[in-house]
Amino acid sequence: MSLGILKDVARPILGGMGITAKRLRHKKATISYPEQRREQYPRTRWRHALTRYENGLEKCIGCSLCAGACPAKCINVVAAENTDEDRHSPGERYAVRYEINMIRCIFCGYCQEACPTGAIVLRKEFELANYHREDFIYTKEMLLEAKAST
Amino acid sequence: MAAEMMGVDMVTILVDDIELQVPKGELIVESVKRLGIEIPIFCYHPRMKPVGMCRMCLVETGTKQPDGTIRKMPKPQASCTLPASEGLAIYTQTPQIIQDRKGVLEFLLINHPLDCPICDRGGECPLQNNTLFYGPSTSRHIEFKRHAPKAIPLSEHVTLDLERCIQCGRCVRFTEEISGDGQLAFRFRGASMQPSTFALSAFESKFSGNTIEICPVGALTSSQSRFRARPWDLESSAGVCTLCSCGCNVWFDHRIGKLVRVNGRTNNAVNEEWTCDQGKFGHDYYNHNERQASVFIRTSARLESTSWTVGLGEIVTKLKSTGTSAGFLLGPKISNEAGFLACRAATALGSRQVAGIDSRVELGANFEVPADSLLSLEQAKVIVSVGPSLADTLPIVYLRVRKAASQKGAKVISIHSSPTELDEFAFLSLCHKPGTLSLLIQGLDGSLALEEVALQTGVSAQALKEAKTVLEGQGVSFIATNQVAHTEGSAALSDLRRLAKKLEANWNHFCETASGFASLASCSGLGMELQSPESILKKCLSGDIKFLWLVDFDPFELVKDRELVKQALEEVEFLVVQSAIASEASHYASVVLPQSLPAEGGGSFTNLDGQLQNFDAFLPKIGMARADWQIFAELLSRMDLAAGMFSRQDILQMAAKDVPYFKEALTGKQDHQPQPSGAGV
Repeated sequence: MSLGILKDVARPILGGMGITAKRLRHKKATISYPEQRREQYPRTRWRHALTRYENGLEKCIGCSLCAGACPAKCINVVAAENTDEDRHSPGERYAVRYEINMIRCIFCGYCQEACPTGAIVLRKEFELANYHREDFIYTKEMLLEAKAST
Repeated sequence: MAAEMMGVDMVTILVDDIELQVPKGELIVESVKRLGIEIPIFCYHPRMKPVGMCRMCLVETGTKQPDGTIRKMPKPQASCTLPASEGLAIYTQTPQIIQDRKGVLEFLLINHPLDCPICDRGGECPLQNNTLFYGPSTSRHIEFKRHAPKAIPLSEHVTLDLERCIQCGRCVRFTEEISGDGQLAFRFRGASMQPSTFALSAFESKFSGNTIEICPVGALTSSQSRFRARPWDLESSAGVCTLCSCGCNVWFDHRIGKLVRVNGRTNNAVNEEWTCDQGKFGHDYYNHNERQASVFIRTSARLESTSWTVGLGEIVTKLKSTGTSAGFLLGPKISNEAGFLACRAATALGSRQVAGIDSRVELGANFEVPADSLLSLEQAKVIVSVGPSLADTLPIVYLRVRKAASQKGAKVISIHSSPTELDEFAFLSLCHKPGTLSLLIQGLDGSLALEEVALQTGVSAQALKEAKTVLEGQGVSFIATNQVAHTEGSAALSDLRRLAKKLEANWNHFCETASGFASLASCSGLGMELQSPESILKKCLSGDIKFLWLVDFDPFELVKDRELVKQALEEVEFLVVQSAIASEASHYASVVLPQSLPAEGGGSFTNLDGQLQNFDAFLPKIGMARADWQIFAELLSRMDLAAGMFSRQDILQMAAKDVPYFKEALTGKQDHQPQPSGAGV
């Protein structure tokens, strides 16, 4: 009986502890999330952003090709004409409204692929949870990059 | 094909080694369509003369030799300028032709800017499509492209982007051949050739919108719908234009419940594929920011929002006491169903007071179907147009007259007191002094000496004599509208009708409004007369009418005498204003009813030659608004005057019992079927 206790109970416990002890030497795989952030992979596709040129003009020309390419039909673009007094983008046309429904979005990146000016890009910010459905409609103001401070 | 063989020489041609019988002289670009083969085109348009400018339609040709072999021509030919002849062999798919098409497209793309993402044509562009199907897959160009000013406003409606133009000449030919105003021409030569107006003035055609549709690239775009939507975002729904009585078939292109643009829809019996500028650009009132959205009722000098039940209840109570003195003013754009039900209400109530713009009471002649249809007008030998500018009042009739004159050799006589567009190609222009039309007619029918008439009217005796001779011939059609009565008096219009009858000519007194034909037919079917709005308003003043219902009729806009309108609306005891857009008349209203527009509520419309066309709803209604026919259907049900009106078809069936015209339209003629197709090529 006593032999049995040694063989069937104590040895496996010690063996298990041994594995744990061996693991102590390894690097930790987890991080304490909110305080620490992991570096995302370079091709990660999360929250969209509308980019600007170096001179501060928007790259988006309101062509709606992103909305056309979107398989989830979650992008809505309304375009208008630039004037010399009110210039948003280099050409004739700019997006006066640009909305993405983040609940519908499947983050496939087709919009980025379709964009002729490289205006819409999917970046690494992934914390998109919210409390109300309406808050998932990302407007142009939310998506547009801040102007580079001069 | 048997029908074509009658009276037409048929020839046998070979298309890609398939034998085909076609009428002699038919253009090859058209012939191949019989086999379902497509030849890419840019400058060719089936309704205009071929010019062979773009070279896109190249085919290899050959002739059949006596020994049965085919001898090919050394060079390709443009199939749009190649008439079919006996033994002609055509090859549309040879490696040489595929190579040639690539070459032509590469050539066209040398200077075409690749700004497709912001171009309004991108997505429905023939240049994009042809490049995709027939063009080279890559570009060899590293050179700079030609640059020209972008977005030049050619007119209020048309914006020109010179960089995008591929110089096909469709717009220039349209103004020369179809609209006849010859407003556009090419300036300069070679790569700098550009369409423009003479002296760089504004492009003032009444049909300028069509050039936008036929432009094979985005060089001519609509200023109104510029950048408002991409073509693939738009949903096209078949509709009918209700801005005049022509009843043009159009596509209403809408996005997220908002109307964006209007394009012509092919119907050879009405507008072929053209639209006038009024129709193409005049539908923006759908997006008016003062659309009527709720029922209002007057409570102690203020209008207060209420429900349909209360609003209609009030009307029913009032009609029960003053029904015999109720008057209805029918608006120019109401549906057949609403027009009929309003007439029906007036008869059932016993007041029999209905008025509309197309009233003919003063002429003594009540409802009379025009002798010609839009199609048969083309076959007329002589067309007499009387009155002010036909291109303004009935633009599509004007295009038919122009086509009859330019393509079928009809002689056009234009009788008017101020110059019109018809004078450009008229055989005779009789420009008389204002107010002397009656005299002129007396001269033409021989009751007055020509010299005497010439002296009084200011028209030369020679011209009158010539006109008289022409009018005595065969195939004469008269065109007139109520405008003649407005400018020359109703007596002159009656005289004109008498002259036409005397000459045994076709008499066409066309309605001017979309609701005109059906209102006249309904009134005559119910044994009433459609009165003039003025006479009803006068009856309001005299107290004969105590209850007035404006059925989408804005009296301040449609009746000239503003004082009369004001007094009448103040005088009348109870005023119902039913309208789609808030109007000045609402200030006088006892009850305001919000009405939806045809694209939102549906309706059938009869055009000037009596074709009944259905218009099914596709846009959402605004607020509490209801279709004009729904309002009357509910009113009649509530008053127990009629029952069982659950749909438009029920109302039309009911109308068919009372009105011979509706019976004929529902049983006899086939209603048109919209063919599904995108925007014009």
